[in-house]
Amino acid sequence: MANAFVAAFEILSFGAIIVLIVLGLGIIASMMGIFNFAQGEFVLLGAYVTYLAYAKGLPIWAGMVAAPFVVGALGFVLEALIIRRFYAAPIVAMLGTYALGLIIRESVRGLIGGFYLTVPEPIGGSIDIGAMHISAWRFTIIVITLLVMAGCYLLLSRTSFGLRVRATLENPSLARASGISTPLIYGATFAFGAALAGLAGALIVPVFSLFADLGLRFLIQGFVAVMVGGVGSFIGPVAGAGVIGTLSAALPWVMAPVVADVLVFVLAIVFIKFRPQGLIAGKGV
Amino acid sequence: MLKPMSVVRQAIVADASDEMDGAMAEGAAAGQAKDRVKAGRRVLPIVEGVVLVAALLAPLVLQDYLTVFATRVIILALFALSFDLVWGYAGIMSFGQALFFGSAGYGVALLARDLDITNILLVLPAGTIIGLTFALLLGGFLLLGRHPSSVIFVSLGTLTGSYAADRLARGWYYLGGQNGIPSIAPMTLGGYEFTEGPSFYYLVLGILVVVYLLCRFLVRSQFGLALAGLRENEQRIAFFGYKAQHLKAIIFTIGGGVAGLAGSLYAFHEGFVWPNMVGVVVSTQVVLYVLFGGSGTLIGAVIGAVIVEGVSFWLSDNYRDIWPIILGLLLLLVILFRPLGLISFVLGERERVGSFGAAAREKRNAAP
Repeated sequence: MANAFVAAFEILSFGAIIVLIVLGLGIIASMMGIFNFAQGEFVLLGAYVTYLAYAKGLPIWAGMVAAPFVVGALGFVLEALIIRRFYAAPIVAMLGTYALGLIIRESVRGLIGGFYLTVPEPIGGSIDIGAMHISAWRFTIIVITLLVMAGCYLLLSRTSFGLRVRATLENPSLARASGISTPLIYGATFAFGAALAGLAGALIVPVFSLFADLGLRFLIQGFVAVMVGGVGSFIGPVAGAGVIGTLSAALPWVMAPVVADVLVFVLAIVFIKFRPQGLIAGKGV
Repeated sequence: MLKPMSVVRQAIVADASDEMDGAMAEGAAAGQAKDRVKAGRRVLPIVEGVVLVAALLAPLVLQDYLTVFATRVIILALFALSFDLVWGYAGIMSFGQALFFGSAGYGVALLARDLDITNILLVLPAGTIIGLTFALLLGGFLLLGRHPSSVIFVSLGTLTGSYAADRLARGWYYLGGQNGIPSIAPMTLGGYEFTEGPSFYYLVLGILVVVYLLCRFLVRSQFGLALAGLRENEQRIAFFGYKAQHLKAIIFTIGGGVAGLAGSLYAFHEGFVWPNMVGVVVSTQVVLYVLFGGSGTLIGAVIGAVIVEGVSFWLSDNYRDIWPIILGLLLLLVILFRPLGLISFVLGERERVGSFGAAAREKRNAAP
């Protein structure tokens, strides 16, 4: 019983991490129609900012709060300078964002060297429930993920900003005609997606430690999750991330990790092949 | 399948180079003299000739260790050719080309390790067939089917395939896990062993030239014409009654075969294979070559591979750390400002798209 509970917690916390990472990717893919290959590097940057704050002697949580703002601001600038030129061509956007990601990744690699740098958990220790111990920090990640998800949902469905974003997504020319500044909305959406990736990076760095290829590992999983969930809505990618995250964490408990790893990808690709619209089809929130 | 060619030709002329129409009309008006001038302006054969001569002379002037490096570059150029066929001519974004390159490398490494087969007449065809088979399976799955697959799906599908293969190779003890398969025996022909050096260089160069000529024939054939149409406007080609998905699957498979050939040469040249060879890193490397050089021209892929590898070799002594950053910046600049690659500095759009069919042949014959 205790074992099953620990397993369930592990699966849940990994699923939460994937959801957190996919959230930004999904928002950019759904709202703007481009698959951002630099998203993994935004995660890396978030982790790096947190590490920097820690190395300078600031409290870790301060770095974690700063990370989304720093990465979001960078995302806004990059969108205005570069990404904006790619909207018409999804493949060129992939290549362009890949080049951006390469620049960011190698810069960070140059800054930290080839090391694995650790950042301690701001909330250490474990939560004891009877005989079971679960990591307090992982539990915090789950809680924050739920809060962020709810926040994004409310932002997109209830606020006037969300309404403008959805209007721009559904019919850009009509949105422009109604007086919505679509370039500004695109910039804000991209910055928001980047900020979410930065937050994800900041939160996971105590768990995975900081190394230059941190983002790469999650990027492909993230893409697959977005495709499985369905591009075009907010809830689709989140659902996809839940499924992929749960599968990747659960399957190694029942089979060899190598097989499980590959099986998740094969299953996902087969699923997308036969249901290209994803788990949840349609546009909107 | 190859019936309504004239219609397609019109479509391509209209779609790909409006400039071509204008140029043709102008040429007809100005008469023979102008035609002759234009024939003299064909740059592509000159570029190809220069590259070939440079490649033939290279081992004579290079030091031994540089010849070994040059051999590797030629093999990578062959690999780049395979990606260029798929992306530059058919418009299929294959982010997983290393899957075919690496799996063929692993295949021949296993042949050499477990069965002691190193005969060049066996291992190279074997590697090619491995590449073909994997490409046929993956391409068939991704590209064929009742609904045409989206570009995004194909590129992410190939990327995922390559990533999954990398993970599999890392975790599979039989394939050597993280370390790969070390110390592969050299390729043999009868009693002769191909070791690093000029003989291996000329072998690889010979193979590259043959494959290049075959590809050149292929993309200038009626099949190539249909492919060019596919790249420019897939829907229109489909409306003409072509089975666009079949054309794509065929060229994807051929590309996989060429990648497999390059992969088996690479495995024997380096003497070992390791998981990166099937993974995302090598997959994106080949994309870089072709984008730099210029997709849609075969020679562009070769030049791209030579330039990227050459500059990286030259810089890696002093600027090892910042070279990838420079590479990223250059790539970004090329994508933003020179989407047709470096070759577009000397090659016009008209020649890149090329001319097809009987009319073009007559014109060519009449020109000199």
